[in-house]
Amino acid sequence: MKRRVLSLILASAMVLSLAACGSKDTGSASEPAAKTESADSGASGEEAKAEESAKQVELNVTTTFAGEDTNAQNFKNAVDAWCEKTGNTVADASATSDETFKTRVITDFETGSEPDVLFFFNGADANSFIEAGKVVSIDDIRAEYPDYAGNMNDDLITASLVDGKKYAVPVNGFWEAMFVNTEVLEAAGVAVPGANYTWDQFKEDCQKIKDAGYAPIACALGNIPHYWWEFAIFNHTSPSTHLNIPESVDSDQGAAWVAGMEDIKELYEAGFFPENTLSATDDETFAMFTEGKAAFLIDGSWKVGGIVNACQSDPEDASTLDTEKLANFDVTYIPGQGDRKATDLIGGLSMGYYITAKAWEDPDKRAAAVDFVTYMTSDEIVPVFAQHTASALKNAPEVDESTFNPLQVKAMAMMSGVTSLTGAVQDIFQGDCRVSTFDGMPEIVTGRVSAVDAVAEGIEAYHAQ
Amino acid sequence: MGASIYKNKKPLFVFLLPAFLFMIVYLYYPFFKNIINSFQHIKNLGQITATWNDPWYTNYVELVQDPVVWTSIKNTLVMMLVTIVGQVGIALVLALLVDNIHAGAKFFRTVYFFPIVISATALGLLFNLIFLYDKGMLNQFLEALGKTGLTDWKDESHALFTMMLPVMWQYVGFYFVILITGLNNISEELYESASIDGATRFQRVRYISLPLLHNVICTCVVLAVTGALKVFDLPWTMFPKGMPLKSTFLTGTYMYYQTMEAKNVDYGATLAIMLVLLGVLTSKVVNAVFKEKDY
Repeated sequence: MKRRVLSLILASAMVLSLAACGSKDTGSASEPAAKTESADSGASGEEAKAEESAKQVELNVTTTFAGEDTNAQNFKNAVDAWCEKTGNTVADASATSDETFKTRVITDFETGSEPDVLFFFNGADANSFIEAGKVVSIDDIRAEYPDYAGNMNDDLITASLVDGKKYAVPVNGFWEAMFVNTEVLEAAGVAVPGANYTWDQFKEDCQKIKDAGYAPIACALGNIPHYWWEFAIFNHTSPSTHLNIPESVDSDQGAAWVAGMEDIKELYEAGFFPENTLSATDDETFAMFTEGKAAFLIDGSWKVGGIVNACQSDPEDASTLDTEKLANFDVTYIPGQGDRKATDLIGGLSMGYYITAKAWEDPDKRAAAVDFVTYMTSDEIVPVFAQHTASALKNAPEVDESTFNPLQVKAMAMMSGVTSLTGAVQDIFQGDCRVSTFDGMPEIVTGRVSAVDAVAEGIEAYHAQ
Repeated sequence: MGASIYKNKKPLFVFLLPAFLFMIVYLYYPFFKNIINSFQHIKNLGQITATWNDPWYTNYVELVQDPVVWTSIKNTLVMMLVTIVGQVGIALVLALLVDNIHAGAKFFRTVYFFPIVISATALGLLFNLIFLYDKGMLNQFLEALGKTGLTDWKDESHALFTMMLPVMWQYVGFYFVILITGLNNISEELYESASIDGATRFQRVRYISLPLLHNVICTCVVLAVTGALKVFDLPWTMFPKGMPLKSTFLTGTYMYYQTMEAKNVDYGATLAIMLVLLGVLTSKVVNAVFKEKDY
C-alpha cells in the first residue's frame, strides 16, 4: 500500500512539475498585479511608487531594422534611449525583411503571439491581420490620444487596402534607383547615365561593358529578381497606370507585364547578367558590384548603407571607411521606355509602426505602446532614420548634408531630379501569385516557361485570392 | 503483500501518461490535423478558419501533376543512394582501416567524428565559400593548377554533386563510430585463431569482420536511409528555393518552400503527407532488404 501511495505521489509530483513549467509565464505575469494590490493598501507614497512600477512594462517589438539594414544601429540607439527615458524595456525581435520574416509575422498574428508594436509593410502584406482586426487604426488611437502621429502629414500616410483606414505611422521612405560602379564604366568607356537615359542606350552600354570583360548587371535572377521585375513592368506602363493589376493576360496591362518579362529575357540572352545569375545569391552579385566586377545594380535606398559598409574595413566602425573606394560608386536613374521617363522612380512610404489590438487592450501596455511609437516617429528621431529618403513629417527639418557620406550626397542630388515616385506594384501583388514570375524568373529567361504563361498563372492566382 | 507488488502494473500507466499526452498533443494531433489541412485552402500558417478545396482532392491532383515533386522525389532517392554508398560505405572502409592499426586509432576516431558536432547551417556557409563561383576556394585551387575560366559549381550540371558532397562528408563520422564500436565487439580470439590457420588480413576481414558486422551495417543503412528523408538545413542553406531552376529540391526542402516561401500552406501539408508515406514505404523496403540475422 505504502509503495502504491509513494508511486502516486511521485507521479503527481512529475505531472505538477510539468504543469509548473508550463505556467511559469502566467506566474510572472500575475506578479505585478499582486504587487499593485498590496501597494494599494499601503501609504500614499508607496501607492505612487507602485503605480510607477506598474507602468514600467516590457514591450514586444518587431521591426525590419536588423541585419544589414542601414538603420539597424539607429534603431538600437533609439530603443536604448527610449528605455532609459521611460524605464520600460523592449524585447526586440527584429529581423531582416524577407519572405520568411513576413511569414513569421503573419503566423504570429494567426496564432495570437503577435508583438505589441510592429514596424511592417502597409501594402497587401498587412491585409490578413487588418481583416482580423488585430491592429488598431490611427483614428481609433487618436480618439484617446489626440496628438498621436500629429506631427505627420496625414495625406502621406498610406491607407490600408482592406478598409481604407490608416494604421501604420511611417518613418522613412524609400526609393529604388540604379547604383553604378564608375570604375567599371570608365574601364569600359561608358559615361554615367543621366536623366534622359533610354532603354536602347542602356543595352548599347551593356554590350560595351560586356565586351570589356565585366558583368553589366549585378543581379541574381534566381534569388532576388524583384527590382528588375518591377522596373521592367514599369517601362511598359506609366506612373498613372503602374499600380493596376491586370484583369487578364490578354488585357493591355497584362500585355505590358508580359513585355516586361520579355525584356528581362532579352537581357539574359544577351549575356548582360552574371554568368551564374541563376545559381547565385543576391549577396554574391552584390559583392561582384562592390568589388568592381559588375557595373549596374538596381536596388533600394537601403543599399546606400550596404555599399558604404562594403567600403569599410570594419563594417561596424565608420572611421574605417575607404573614401577612395566609395568615390567609385554613384546612383542614378533607371533607363526608361515608352511613357516612363528615366526619372520616374519607384518609391514612397511603404512601411510604418502598427500598434496591435493585443497591446491596446492591455491597460498596462497601451500607454507605453503609444509612447514608443510617438517617440520613434518624433520630429527628432525620424530625420535620423530618413536621412536621404523622404518622410511624412509636417515640419521636416533641413537636411544637414555635412553629416552625410559622399554616396548619400549623390543620392540627395539624384533625388532632386526625380519627376515622380510611384509605389511598387509588387506590394499589392502579394502571396502565391508572385511565385510564377518571381521564383519562376529563371524558367522565363531560359525559355522553359513562356512569359505569357507565367504572367497568366500569377494573375489567375491573384484573382483567386 | 510480498511479491504481489510486482504483479500490479497499474502505477506504470500513471508514469507513462505524461509522455503519452505529450505525444498526443505534439505529434499525433498535428499529424491528423495536417491530413485535414491538405484538403483545405489555407493562405497563412496558423490560420484558424479555412475553407475546403473544391474539389477536396485538388492538392493531390496537383501533387501528381507537379514536375517539381517528381524532381524532389528523384533527388531524395539519389540522396538515399549517396548516403548508403557514400556515408555507410566510406565509414565502413575507414572503420576497417582504423581497426587494423594500433597507433593513432583514437586520433582518427576524433578526426572523423568531428564534422558531426558542427551545425549544418555553419557547414552550409562553409561549403558555400568553398564552392563560391567568384574566387571560391575550389575555383582558386583549380586556377592555381592552370585552369582558365571559373566553374559554376552550383549550376544545373554540378548542383546535385555540390549539394550532396557536404551532406555525405558530414555524416561519415557518425557511421564510422557506430561501425568501429561494432568491430571492437568482435572477439580477438576469432582473429587469432584465423591467423594461426593461415588466414590473410583480407580473409579475416572478409570472413570474420564483415559477417559479424552484418547487423550493425543493417542498422546503419536503416538510419542512413531514414536520415536522408529528413535532410534539410544544409541543402537549404546552400541552395535556397531549389536553385538553380528548382533542380535541387528534396522532398523536405520543397515542403518548406511551399509552406514558408510560396505561401501555399495547404499544398505544403499535402507534401508532408507524401513525405510520411515515402518514409514508411522506404523503411519497409530497407527493413526487408537489410534484414538483421540471428547468430
